[in-house]
Amino acid sequence: MSDFGPGRLSAAAYFGCVALLTALGLGVAAWAHPAFLHSSLQTMGLEAVPHAAPGSFYVTRIAPLFDARCLGCHDDTRAKGQLRLDSFAAAMRGGRDGPVIEPGNPKGSELFRRISLPSSDDRAMPPSGKTPLTADEVTVIKLWIASGASGELRTIKGAPRPVVEVKIPESDLAAVQKQRAPLAAALKQLQARYPGVIIYESRNSADLEVDASLRGAAFGDGDLAALLPLAARIVRADLSGTTITDAAAPTLVAMTSLTRLRLAHTKITDKTLVALVGLKSLKSVSVVETKVSDDALAPLRQHGVATYGGGNE
Amino acid sequence: MSDFTSDELLAEYLKVQAQTRRQFVGWGAGGLGALFMNSAMAAPAAPHAVPASLNFARDPATPLSVLPPQFGAKVKRVIYLHMGGSPSQLDLFDYKPVLKRFHGHDCPQSFLQGKRFAFIQGVPKLLGPMFPFHQAGKSGAWISDRLPHLEKQVDDLCIIKSMKTDQFNHAPAQLLVHTGDPRLGHASLGSWITYGLGSENQNLPGFIVLISNGGTTANAGKPLWGSGFLPSVYQGVPCRSAGEPVLYLQNPQGVTRPERRQVLDAVDEINRENFKEFGNPETVTRIAQYEMAFRMQLEASDAMDIKKEPAKVLESYGAEPGKTSYANNCLVARRLAERGVRFIQLYHWGWDSHGTPVDEGVNVGLVKRCKETDQPTAALLADLKQRGLLEDTLVIWGGEFGRTPMWENRGGQEMEFIGRDHHPSCFTLFMAGGGIKHGISHGETDEMGYSIVRDPVEVRDLHATMLYLLGFDYHKLSYPYQGLDQKLTGVKPARIVSEILA
Amino acid sequence: MSDPRKEHVLVWDIPTRIFHWTIVVLVAVSWFSADNGYLRMHLWSGLTLLALLLFRVLWGLLGSTTSRFTDFLHPPRKVMAYLRGHEKSLYAGHNPAGGWMVAVMIGVLLAQAVTGLFSNDGLHFTGPLALWVSDDVSTRITGLHGTIFNIIVVFIWLHVVAVGFYLLVKNHNLVGAMVTGKKHPHLVPAGLNLSFTRLYIALLLLALTAGIVAWVFFQGVP
Repeated sequence: MSDFGPGRLSAAAYFGCVALLTALGLGVAAWAHPAFLHSSLQTMGLEAVPHAAPGSFYVTRIAPLFDARCLGCHDDTRAKGQLRLDSFAAAMRGGRDGPVIEPGNPKGSELFRRISLPSSDDRAMPPSGKTPLTADEVTVIKLWIASGASGELRTIKGAPRPVVEVKIPESDLAAVQKQRAPLAAALKQLQARYPGVIIYESRNSADLEVDASLRGAAFGDGDLAALLPLAARIVRADLSGTTITDAAAPTLVAMTSLTRLRLAHTKITDKTLVALVGLKSLKSVSVVETKVSDDALAPLRQHGVATYGGGNE
Repeated sequence: MSDFTSDELLAEYLKVQAQTRRQFVGWGAGGLGALFMNSAMAAPAAPHAVPASLNFARDPATPLSVLPPQFGAKVKRVIYLHMGGSPSQLDLFDYKPVLKRFHGHDCPQSFLQGKRFAFIQGVPKLLGPMFPFHQAGKSGAWISDRLPHLEKQVDDLCIIKSMKTDQFNHAPAQLLVHTGDPRLGHASLGSWITYGLGSENQNLPGFIVLISNGGTTANAGKPLWGSGFLPSVYQGVPCRSAGEPVLYLQNPQGVTRPERRQVLDAVDEINRENFKEFGNPETVTRIAQYEMAFRMQLEASDAMDIKKEPAKVLESYGAEPGKTSYANNCLVARRLAERGVRFIQLYHWGWDSHGTPVDEGVNVGLVKRCKETDQPTAALLADLKQRGLLEDTLVIWGGEFGRTPMWENRGGQEMEFIGRDHHPSCFTLFMAGGGIKHGISHGETDEMGYSIVRDPVEVRDLHATMLYLLGFDYHKLSYPYQGLDQKLTGVKPARIVSEILA
Repeated sequence: MSDPRKEHVLVWDIPTRIFHWTIVVLVAVSWFSADNGYLRMHLWSGLTLLALLLFRVLWGLLGSTTSRFTDFLHPPRKVMAYLRGHEKSLYAGHNPAGGWMVAVMIGVLLAQAVTGLFSNDGLHFTGPLALWVSDDVSTRITGLHGTIFNIIVVFIWLHVVAVGFYLLVKNHNLVGAMVTGKKHPHLVPAGLNLSFTRLYIALLLLALTAGIVAWVFFQGVP
C-alpha cells in the first residue's frame, strides 16, 4: 500500500480535522442533550447544583406529587426518557430532549403539556393504564411553573389545598389495658348493676360513656352517685328522661373530662347548670324540656359550650 | 329462660362454632400441621383462629348488646333518607346556567359516544334546569325554589355534588347504595352498623325501616334492608307510621299478654331443645327475636305514636297522625333517634322522573315529591339540631343515581311530559350532622352537569366515610363468609372523604 | 500508473457487501426510530439486524475467503505491529486493525440486538422477550441497551475516521471497494487466490438465521 500515491491530506492535518469534528460532535450532543451535559458538569463540580429550600412550595407540594406519581419511572435507576424527577436539580435539568420545565411558561413546558394530554393520548403522562393526575394536581404543577418554577417560593396564591388522607387511629391494646386497669373492677361491678348504661368510649380508649336515658324513671340521683368512682373517666353522659335532680350536681361536677352532657326531660334547674361552668372540657349541654333558664346557660355559652333547650324554647 | 342460662348458651354456641367446617378450615395455613403439633406437643388445643377483624362475639341471647366502636366515634346513629327512584340533581341542587342556555339544543355527540342509557335513544335534546335557582344561607349554596324549607337549613348541609355509581338501573343501584354491592345477598348498611355497635335500646330493633309513598315500591325490595350473610337478627325491621307499627306484633284478639308469655316460653323451650340437638346459631337468634318482639309490644307502639307530640311539633313537620306519610316518618325517625335506635332508614318512593306518566314528570311528579318531603326533611334537621341530637347523628339524603341533562326521548320519541333518564356518572347527595363540615359543597360537575370534574365520590367512599364517623376503619368491620372477610366497601379500595370531615 | 495489471480484483463477495450496507441502513433506522418513538419500526429493524448479524457470524465460518474470521483475525502482536507501521504486507480483505474492528462491531451490535429483545420503554412497548424476565431485570437491561448504544456510536466514529484516514491520507478508497467489491490490483497481494462461497449457501444460511430470529420472536409472543 505504498506507491499508490500520496493522499490529499497529511496525517497530521487529517487528525487535526478529526479532532475538530469530534469536538464539534460532542458539542452538538451536549446541545441536544443539555440534561446530560448539566448532569455531568454538576457531578464533576463544575456547575452549581440548584437546591430547593426546605419549606418551599417545591418541597412541600411538588416533590411529594412527583414522588407519588412520577418516580415509578423517573427516578435515578429508571429515568425514562432520561428524565429524573427525584430532585429539584434533576427536574430542572430535564430529559433527553432538553428541559421539561420552562419557568414562567406552563404551556411551553413539556412536563405540563404531557400531564395535561387526555389519557388516551400516547404521549400522555402518566401513561395510559396508570391513574392520571387529578385536576388539582395538574393545577398545582401549572401554578408552580407559572410562578417561575422556583425552589424558594413558599406559597402560591390560588393553589388548591393538598389532599389529606385520613389516618385511622392506631390502637395499642396493651397500653389501653394498662390505662383501664385501675378502674376495671369498679367498672365491672357497676356494669353488672346497670347493664348497657356504661361502656368504654371506644376499643382503644379507657374513657367512658354513660347513657342512662333508656332506663328513664329507674335511674335517679342515687344511681348517678354510684358512678362517682368512675366520674373522672366519663367523657359523655346522657341522663335525659331520668329522675335526677339538682342533688346530682356534685357527681356531675366530678366528671372533669366531660365533653357532652344531656339533661333533657329532667328536674334539673339553674342551680346545677351554674355549677357546670367549672367543667373545662365541656362542649355541649342539652336541657331540652327542663325548667332551666337562658340566664343559667349564658355563662356556659360564654365558655364556648353549645347549649340546647332552656328558657327561650 | 328456665334451666338453660345464657352463659351455658354461650358455651354451647362457641362449641358449635368451633365444630363448623369453616372454622375447621379457618384454623389457618397451619391446618393439619397445627393439629399434629397440638397432639405431638400435648399443647392445649385452641381452635380459635385469630380474628382478622375486630372481635364482635356476643352472648347469642343478646345479639344486639352494645359494643364500643373501634376508635372515638363522631356519631352514634344514622338517619338515612333515601329518595327512591332518584331525584334530579339538576333541578334541585346542581345549578347549571350553561345547560340552561343550551336548553332545547341537540345533545353533543361526545356525551353519547360509547354510553348506554336506560331509555334514551338517538340524539336527545338538552334539558335545562326546570326551576329558578338562587343562592341561600351564609354558605351561598345554590338551591332550587322547589325546596323553600330545606333552604333554611342549608347552612347545616354538606352537599356532595360529585357522587357517582356504576349502576344505571334502580334495583342494582339501590343495592349498591344500601349494601355496597349491586347483587343480592350482601348485608345492608343498618345491618353492618348494628352488627358493629349493637343497639342501645334492647326493647326496639337496632335497625328500623320506614317507608312512604309505597305505591311505587322498592325496586330492589326487602334485600335493601336485609342482613345478607350477617346473622338475620341484624336485618332491618320495617315499621309503619299508620295502623299497627309492626305487622303481627300485637297479640291476636282475645290473647292477653300473660298468655302470650306462656306461648313464648313453650316456643323458647322447643327452640332450646332444637339448639341442643342441632346447634344452629340461628336458633338462638330466633329465641332472641321472639323475646324482643314481646318487649317491643310495649315500646314500639310508644315510639311510633306521634300523637304524643305537641301540636306545634306536628305542624312543623306537617305530620298528620294516622296517615302513612314521609312527614310522619321523619317525626318517628326523631323519636327513634331519641330512643337509641342505631340506624333509621326512610324510603320515599316516586322520584323516577322519566316523563312517561304525568306523575313521573320533572314538571309534575318531582314537584309533588318536593312538596311531600321538603318541609319534613327540613323540620327533622331543625328538630334534631334544636335538641342537640344532630351533634351525634348523621343524616344522609339522596337517591341511587343521578339524572341526565338531556330530555328523555324514550323510543326516540319526544315525550309528553318532561323527563330525565338515569345518569350514574354524577348525582347529588347531602349529609348533615356530627363530624362533618356544614355549609359546604364538595365536588363539582361540568357546565352541563354531565360528568364530574372535581373530587368524585364513589358509593364505597361514602360508606367508608360513614363508618369512619361511626368509629370504624372500613377494613376492620368485616365478617368471614365464603372464604372472604366480607366488608361493606367490598374489595375495591375506598377512600374516606377527608375533605368533608370537620 | 505504470502497472501491467489493469484489472480490478474482486475481493468482497455479494453477501458481505449487502450485509455491510444493510447494517449501515438498519443502524440508522434503529437510531432514528428509537429517538422518535417509532418503536414498531425499531422492533423490526432490530430483529432484522439480529438475523443479519447471526448470518454474518455463520458467514465468517463458512463464507468466502475474505469474509472468514480466520482471514482477518490476527494475533495481537501482529495487530500492534501493523498499527505501528512495521507491518507492510497487503491484505485483500480486512487489515489486522480493521479485522478486529469488524469483530468488535459485530459483537457490540449483537449485544445491542439481544439486549433489545429484553428491553421495555416503560410505557407501551416491551421487547419480544421482556416478559421472560422480571420487570426489574428488564429495566436494567434497558439501561444497558442505552449504554451499548453510546459504545456503538464511538465505534462508528472510529470506523469512519479510519476509513477516512485511508481515503484522505493514504489515498486508499475502502468505501468504493465495499460497494463494487473490487480493489485496485496494487492494493491486493500478488498471486492472490480467493475462493468465493456460492450464493445459494448464503441464502440458506440467511434463511436459517431469519428462522431462528422468528422462532425467538414467537417465543415471546404470549
